[in-house]
Amino acid sequence: MIKNIDITEPYTSEVFEKLRAGDRVLLTGRVVVMRDSAQRRLLSLCEGGSNLPLNLKGTVVFYAGPAKEMAGAPIGAIGPTTSARMDKYLKFLYQQGVMATIGKGDRSELVETLNKEYRRVYFVAPSGVAAFLASRVERSEVVAFEDLGPEAIRLIEVHDFPLFVWIDAFGRKYRHP
Amino acid sequence: MGGRGDGIMRSIRAADLEKKVYRLLKELNLRFNPQVMERLCGSVEGEYHQYFCELFRKNAEIAARASLPLCQDTGFVEFYVEVGRNVVLEEPVFKTLNRAVSNVYMEFPFRYSMVDPPLGPSKNTKDNTPTFVHVELTEGEGVSITAHVKGGGSENLTALWMFLPTASEEEINNAIEDHIRSKGGRSCPPLHVGIGVGGSADTALFMAKRALLRNLGERSPIPFVARWEEKLFFRLNKLKIGVQGFGEGPTVLDVHILTQPRHIAVLPVAVAVDCFLCRVGRVSL
Repeated sequence: MIKNIDITEPYTSEVFEKLRAGDRVLLTGRVVVMRDSAQRRLLSLCEGGSNLPLNLKGTVVFYAGPAKEMAGAPIGAIGPTTSARMDKYLKFLYQQGVMATIGKGDRSELVETLNKEYRRVYFVAPSGVAAFLASRVERSEVVAFEDLGPEAIRLIEVHDFPLFVWIDAFGRKYRHP
Repeated sequence: MGGRGDGIMRSIRAADLEKKVYRLLKELNLRFNPQVMERLCGSVEGEYHQYFCELFRKNAEIAARASLPLCQDTGFVEFYVEVGRNVVLEEPVFKTLNRAVSNVYMEFPFRYSMVDPPLGPSKNTKDNTPTFVHVELTEGEGVSITAHVKGGGSENLTALWMFLPTASEEEINNAIEDHIRSKGGRSCPPLHVGIGVGGSADTALFMAKRALLRNLGERSPIPFVARWEEKLFFRLNKLKIGVQGFGEGPTVLDVHILTQPRHIAVLPVAVAVDCFLCRVGRVSL
């Protein structure tokens, strides 16, 4: 039986540490949407000693780049992109206080180690269902790097957004029973 | 010399071509490929699989009703154009196809995913062009255009091996299996796997890509290739990567192989994959 868990912001370590690989989560709250280019930029700002354009402490990061929205809709089609491409930025995100990441696909062993060390979680969101996922997003705004177009950093508010725990806070990865 | 089309050439208007391709690209992004659902969800293997199939159906329904794309990655578009001997196109076909892509991606809530230049401070081209166009002159009549809406996640799994010419089928199968085992979960399985064997490095890759245009369930007309496709289909499905990587349901929707003669010293093998949406379609004029 799949275990179902509802999580509502504020996100706490207590709740995230109870999750086990394979659990299904319905997430409600704010999520930071960003992918490759935005993370590269954030890291180089940080390394150059500049302030970041947003505070990542206590946030959940969704690796995604939405399609255009229809007039009047909060967001366009949205879904996860391949997380493994961004493994190299994960330590930086955790150091900034990110509580969990959301994407698609398996990741390197480094992620298991980092999750265990920082007690953080990696979720996968279902892919190829971006019209459906858009219906679970209630608000969205670009908060940084607008010039990156679909790769700009957005803050979105999701309601009952379906996720699965792929690598839990103890570094355990989902394996089919 | 007699023959079809002797002296009678047909002129094809760019506007007619553009309109057909526009409609095709709209459909490919909004409508779930009817060849896929049965293979994907025909028999349900477990709770995760069942849940994902419910989402696929809901998604297809919302996409069609609200004109939202099935996937946020509305891809780059790759075109395979076959021009028969009796037709004259009004303008270079890449112009027509780029216009069709630009118009449909600007008018629908699709994503602009193309950036230029490819390295450094690149800028989004803001209409999802350029598109990639392959043109082939054929013995046939009329013009046929196959469009493939290809996501970045699946494109990143493309691979090329230059095998020793003495390599066995087993060695090739092992390389393909290892590749799909280690990376297949990233590209939205169940996957459509295209393989090119023989030719040169570039034609092997091109064959692998073209193999993805074949219909699911269709077998190669060459008996040894058809058997090879079936063998790999069963073998890759034994990897149990499953729907969305959860180990339930199919790992591959189908395997297609195209082959070509090769130089005695050379044995290129290429693999290309498509995600489970298989956004491929054809129009002809």
